[in-house]
Amino acid sequence: MIARSIRVVVPAALALAAGMGSAGAQQRAEVIHWWTSGGESAAVRVFAEQFTKAGGQWVDTAIAGGANARTAAINRTVGGDPPTAMQFNTGKQFDDLVEANLLADVDALARQQNWKAILPEAISAAVTRNGKYFAVPVNIHGQNWIWYNKAVLEKVGASEPKNWDEAIAILEKIKAAGLIPLAFSGQKNWERDLFNTVMLDKAGPAVWNGIYAQRSEAAARSADFRAAVDTFAKLRSYVDAGSPGRNWNDATALVIQGKAGMQVMGDWAKGEFAAAGKTAGKDFGCTLFGSKGGGYVMGGDVFAFPKQKDAAKSGAQLTLAKVMLEPDTQILFAQKKGSIPVRTDLDVSSLDICAQRASKMIQDKSQQVASVQMLAPPAMNGAIEDLVSQFWNGNAMSHDQFVDKMVAILKGSY
Amino acid sequence: MFARFGRFRSRTAAWVALLPALAIILVAHAGSTGWTIWMSFTSSRMLPNSNFVGLRQYVTLFNNDRWLVSIHNLAIFGTLMVVGALAVGLLLAIAIDQRVRAENVLRSVFLYPFSMSFVVTGLAWQWMLNPTHGIQKLVRGWGFADFQFDWIVRQDTVIFTLVIAGVWHAAGLVMAIMLAGLRGIDDEIWKAARVDGIPTWRTYASIVIPMLGASFATAGILLSASVVRLYDLAVAMTNGGPGLASEVPAKFVMDHLFERGNLGLATAAATSMLITVVSIAAPLFYARARARAQETRR
Amino acid sequence: MSAGNTAIPAGPRPDRTSAARWGLYAFLAISALFFLTPLYVMIVTSLKSMDEIRAGYILQFPAEFTVAAWTKAWNSACTGLNCNGIKVGFFNSVRILVPSVIVSIAVGSLTGYALSLWRVRGADVIFGALMVVAFIPYQVFIYPLVRIFSMAGINQTLFGIVVIHTIFGLPTMTLLFRNYFASLPPDLFKAARVDGAGFFQIFWSIMLPMAVPMIVVAMILQVTGIWNDFILGLVFAGRENLPMTVQLNNIVNSTQGERAYNVDMAATMLTALVPLAVYFGSGRWFVRGIAAGAVKG
Repeated sequence: MIARSIRVVVPAALALAAGMGSAGAQQRAEVIHWWTSGGESAAVRVFAEQFTKAGGQWVDTAIAGGANARTAAINRTVGGDPPTAMQFNTGKQFDDLVEANLLADVDALARQQNWKAILPEAISAAVTRNGKYFAVPVNIHGQNWIWYNKAVLEKVGASEPKNWDEAIAILEKIKAAGLIPLAFSGQKNWERDLFNTVMLDKAGPAVWNGIYAQRSEAAARSADFRAAVDTFAKLRSYVDAGSPGRNWNDATALVIQGKAGMQVMGDWAKGEFAAAGKTAGKDFGCTLFGSKGGGYVMGGDVFAFPKQKDAAKSGAQLTLAKVMLEPDTQILFAQKKGSIPVRTDLDVSSLDICAQRASKMIQDKSQQVASVQMLAPPAMNGAIEDLVSQFWNGNAMSHDQFVDKMVAILKGSY
Repeated sequence: MFARFGRFRSRTAAWVALLPALAIILVAHAGSTGWTIWMSFTSSRMLPNSNFVGLRQYVTLFNNDRWLVSIHNLAIFGTLMVVGALAVGLLLAIAIDQRVRAENVLRSVFLYPFSMSFVVTGLAWQWMLNPTHGIQKLVRGWGFADFQFDWIVRQDTVIFTLVIAGVWHAAGLVMAIMLAGLRGIDDEIWKAARVDGIPTWRTYASIVIPMLGASFATAGILLSASVVRLYDLAVAMTNGGPGLASEVPAKFVMDHLFERGNLGLATAAATSMLITVVSIAAPLFYARARARAQETRR
Repeated sequence: MSAGNTAIPAGPRPDRTSAARWGLYAFLAISALFFLTPLYVMIVTSLKSMDEIRAGYILQFPAEFTVAAWTKAWNSACTGLNCNGIKVGFFNSVRILVPSVIVSIAVGSLTGYALSLWRVRGADVIFGALMVVAFIPYQVFIYPLVRIFSMAGINQTLFGIVVIHTIFGLPTMTLLFRNYFASLPPDLFKAARVDGAGFFQIFWSIMLPMAVPMIVVAMILQVTGIWNDFILGLVFAGRENLPMTVQLNNIVNSTQGERAYNVDMAATMLTALVPLAVYFGSGRWFVRGIAAGAVKG
């Protein structure tokens, strides 16, 4: 075991000493990721081009669907033929690989680039295991955005809402005007995201962390959490009959066309607005609710590096990790992806106004909220997803039952 | 003496022919199944571990609302889907067997759904069934303002939409199997029935269809297996929703295996499915094997 | 009609009563309509522009025809870093398909034959075990098989994926052929045995030719299953052999990317062309199968 880790560390140190990239022969890196659509391809091309500039050769293995890509990458790693780098969502998806000693750490690079200072605390924690950095975070996706059609809000005489109470008043007006108030895509993960968005505003980061990080029964039984459940239930009356099963982008299309007033969705929704030729701030608006302090739910993506038998590949891993976090790469990537840079020390004036707003927001530590993927294992998040979906669809479950079932999940073995 | 030797050689040949199958069964099937059962007693998350936890995963499983709903859904879906696909497939096969024109075209029309992956045909179904832009909207546009067809968005009816799409997908294959069976039926039978003046429908009901026993068994097992493993269709059309109303066991297994990184729970679910299948299939097989043994003894 | 010079359609002679005939054709026409509607939706969607699709009249004929989605799906849709459309991987799929179909049908038919007509000890146990396997969601086998295959050194190879498809095809293939052979008149087999024909001789020169209709059905199952397979190819075939469905999935299944339904639909149609062609081409063999069936009389 020791011999193996020396084999990884030594060439890594050599590569660092040699100033990377220029270290001998061309560095080949096969990268497994799930960025496959047009806009995502443009984003991944930024990484590939920057890596090429640094003397590397990017070998692309794109597999749509996070679970698909991870299945392929993990099975290849277990089968002894790992890729050079593999994508995960920022969070707990690679815990088992670290425990099984299958991932190489990037601690030396992290110290060299001073990640601790430039990354938001929650992101930094999300890629650290046992005191060492095990993955390079590449972007931040905000998960709790509210998008609205400016013309629709104008028509009903409303301006940008600041919290869910205001938003519900507007939804009521839009309903009276005969439009769909809340454009919704009734699939489990979006139902959960909608619930989380309501919960953050109504109950605040303390309850958020209480539920997802500490599995606290008290948090689930608090009055604030209960208020969040009540508000969430109210939203049922503002979605249309066609919402169950709808894709998220079809819901966005309803907002774009002015058939619906607003939508709750991550910042990737900007891609749909852009494809329809709409501009942020002019045609549509974006806002975030955080009445109890703490307003930006940070998700995102990271790349992890399976241990390699071949020393040259370990060198390629370090070059890749370094390139991905360089300022130029970060800005260019965020422009194409619709996310914001993972570094807090960059000039973001070239990004759209929603991204600028988010970047400014996370300068303030108290506004940084870790996504549920960072706080809880996928099994627990999945169980909560099932519960929220069951609650949202149909009135069979009382609010008390919802809280009880939530407590059961927190105490269960998920 | 010589004949006996020949017989012995042929027996050996039969065993040689079975070697690939035996290797697959022992190494791949039995090995993987055993591994699956073992995993269900461990606390494995994304990767396997050997941390024995007894029946804990099973306790979690049978306290899980979604798993219980999934079983219930599968029972309804399975019954309707198998009966529906067998009935439609048989009717189509019989209809096509009437020396109709354009047999080739019709056969392909009924069979083509089977060639397409549900990844996108599921989307087409989803659109057609969606009340805000599918069939309901179309018919209302014709002037029937009260027409309702919103099964896919209602929890109590969504499972029927899966049945419709499932029958659409599989009926063609049943038709092909039945057709292969029908075409194996002796022309003499038809001649005899005609001479006796038995009406066509009665000849089918009391002579021909009973002769299709093997075709029914084949189609029935294929359909049942696809029902139990039902996954793609539910993902593509409804993704298990609304709520849990179209969740099915195989999707439970898949979601926990990959997306949720919970190998222990996923294998406990798979093992439960396995036990159910065995406990239904074993008596059937035993009864059939006994009946056959008695037949040959006579 | 009355000539009866052909063995084709074995069913009853057509009823001359035209009312029944009309009913028959009405039933077939309505069924055909039901079966074709989703295909219609897919085709018209693939010929529309995204603006028209967003407007939401999915059953409507396209106001303006455009084949742009088809060319994009084939040639230039992005599937990651490469924007070369779905054509990438087409030949990989063919390379996986042909040997996998042949090997799995060969093993399955031989096993079915041995289990049905030869009284092998434990035949029922073997068959029973196979049937049980047919009911397990095969995805749970992926992880142990990856370990077994990498120990055997065939993980991530073309050979490996052929073996995988044979493994997962064995239960259904055996079922098809066992039940078919068991339903043949036993005299045929007995006569061959009396003539002194051996195991493989009977299989090759008597049983296989008689099983043509079942071979066609088996091909339908395997061509479809293997061509449309995604997860097994993804995990076992290796980076150089990734099947076309990986590209299809990349086009239609992105979670956060923007979606173009017309391209999705065109890509699906394009991917389905090979199984469709096989189905249409196999019609002739069905007819041959009937001729083989007529021998029985």
